[in-house]
Formats: sequence, C-alpha cells, structure tokens
Amino acid sequence: MHTLIKDALIDISQEQRPNGFFDLGFVINVGSISPGRDGRLEIEQTPEEDEIRALKRSQTSEEEDNMGAEFTRYPTPAKMQTILTHFTVDQMSRYESFRRSALHKSNMKKVLQSITGQKVSDTLNIVVCGIAKMFVGELVETARVEMGKKKDSGPIRPCHIRESYRRLKLQGKVPKRSVPRLFH
Amino acid sequence: MSNTPAAAPTSSSKSKAAGSSQAPEKRKPLFQKELQHMMYGFGDEQNPLPETVALVEDIVVEYVTDLTHKAQEIGTKRGRLLVDDFLYLIRKDLPKLNRCRELLAMQEELKQARKAFDVDEEKITSLD
Repeated sequence: MHTLIKDALIDISQEQRPNGFFDLGFVINVGSISPGRDGRLEIEQTPEEDEIRALKRSQTSEEEDNMGAEFTRYPTPAKMQTILTHFTVDQMSRYESFRRSALHKSNMKKVLQSITGQKVSDTLNIVVCGIAKMFVGELVETARVEMGKKKDSGPIRPCHIRESYRRLKLQGKVPKRSVPRLFH
Repeated sequence: MSNTPAAAPTSSSKSKAAGSSQAPEKRKPLFQKELQHMMYGFGDEQNPLPETVALVEDIVVEYVTDLTHKAQEIGTKRGRLLVDDFLYLIRKDLPKLNRCRELLAMQEELKQARKAFDVDEEKITSLD
C-alpha cells in the first residue's frame, strides 16, 4: 500500500517533484497511514530514503520494545516534523485532507443499527469508521495505480473505481457474500 | 434482516444521478461531503467527479454491510456483536488491523484522561 500511494502521488504531480523529498515525504507519510508493514517498502527507494530508513532503524530500538515488531519503521514525531516542513503547499493540503477527513460517526451508527438491528457500541462505531476509511483509501489508490499504468490522467472516473474494486476482490480484500446478491 | 438504511425517506431532491445503484432502494447520500475530502486526501483531484463519489459511497456501504453480516454470523454464537468479531474478520489485512488497534488504544487513553479530569474536578469542587 505504501508504494501505491507513492506512485500514485508521483504520477499526479510530476511537475512538482522537488529533488528527492517528494518520495521521501510520501514513503514516510505512508508510514502514518498504515503502520502495518507488509514488506513492500523496499521497492523503488531513492538514496535519501535509504538513508532515512537506516537512521530510523538505528534509532528505533526502544520504539520496538514499546510498540512491537510491527512498528519498527514508524517515523518518530521529530522526523515527521522535518518531513512536514519540506512539503509543498499542494502536498500539505492533501495530507491535511487525508488526516482530517473521516466518515461521520452518526451516519455510520445509523447504517450499522439498521443492518444489525441491535444497539451498536461507540467503540464498534469508531472501529468500523476507521476500517471504512482505509477501504476508501485502498479503492482510490488502486484506481490511481491503474490509471498510471494506462497513462490516464485527470479526475478518477467510475470505470476506474470499478476496475479497482474488481482487483481488490481478486486480492481477497473485499468480504465475499456466501449468498450472492441477485436483485439489487 | 432488512438491508435498507433506516433513515431513507425517498426524497427526490437528493436522489443520486446516473452511474449509481438505482430503483428499489433510493438511498439518501450519506457520506458525500466527507468522501470528497477523503478521496482528495488519498489521491483524487480536489473536486472528485460526483458520479465517482456516489459510486464509492455505494461500494463502501456495501462493504460495511457485508462485513457486518459476516461479523454477526460470528457474533450470534456468543450473543452480542463485539468489536472482536470485526477484528477477527480483518485479521489478514495487516494495515487495517494495526489501524484498528491504534484507534482502540487512543480511545482507551482518552477514556483514562477523561476519568482523571473528572476526578480532579471533584477534588476541586469538594474543596469549595
């Protein structure tokens, strides 16, 4: 998922790519999106990224103890700060949207209660909102990657989303219904 | 078990246009504004196409529905629907799982902080 964001954003704003910090910013940025590592960070690193990663590894020994093996490559707040200062206005606004956007808890609660017919706890609500947001992220990122492969540009169209949804289904990231939905 | 959202009076003013699921269930768009910001944050343009947003909303609602149905199947064995059912379904998807753990940890922290705040408030009022 990390390279997905990186590649997608590189495609979008090729012109705005400062020397190497763009890549840097977004690989680390991705670290805050999905701290779960699935080993795909190794692809396509610039020399600065290698350096940053080596620095992080040497400094994250205590973080490892605190947070467990999955968080070894999580950037420290100080590092995050330096990266943020290097963002362009565009990147900053996009990052801000990414961090601040969320699905309304009240709407999600309505949906969940109508599906389950039971009262839904606040914790559950928060968790489902988080899961849904990450799912949107996967959809959009996969769509952007697809567009990049076809050298398409501009706003994402429904056909791209359908394609990306199909891909996610093949990857097993979308829960399959045991009884297929026939008329809807 | 009905699939239609509870709050869905068929108000034609807000029924979505082409490209989205049509006829029997007219869903009022639930998450449009937030979805626009979210899609921008994840890589779309500043103003995503309305058809795209509508489609993404449909897909997300369907995703949540399917996930919840599956969680219920697991949850009915023990009675109530719990967070752990969802975490079990997500277990293969590491980024989501870790994000959920993060959210739960933050919620715990906030609860503790609020409890501590309330205790301090009590002390202050009792002194008066």
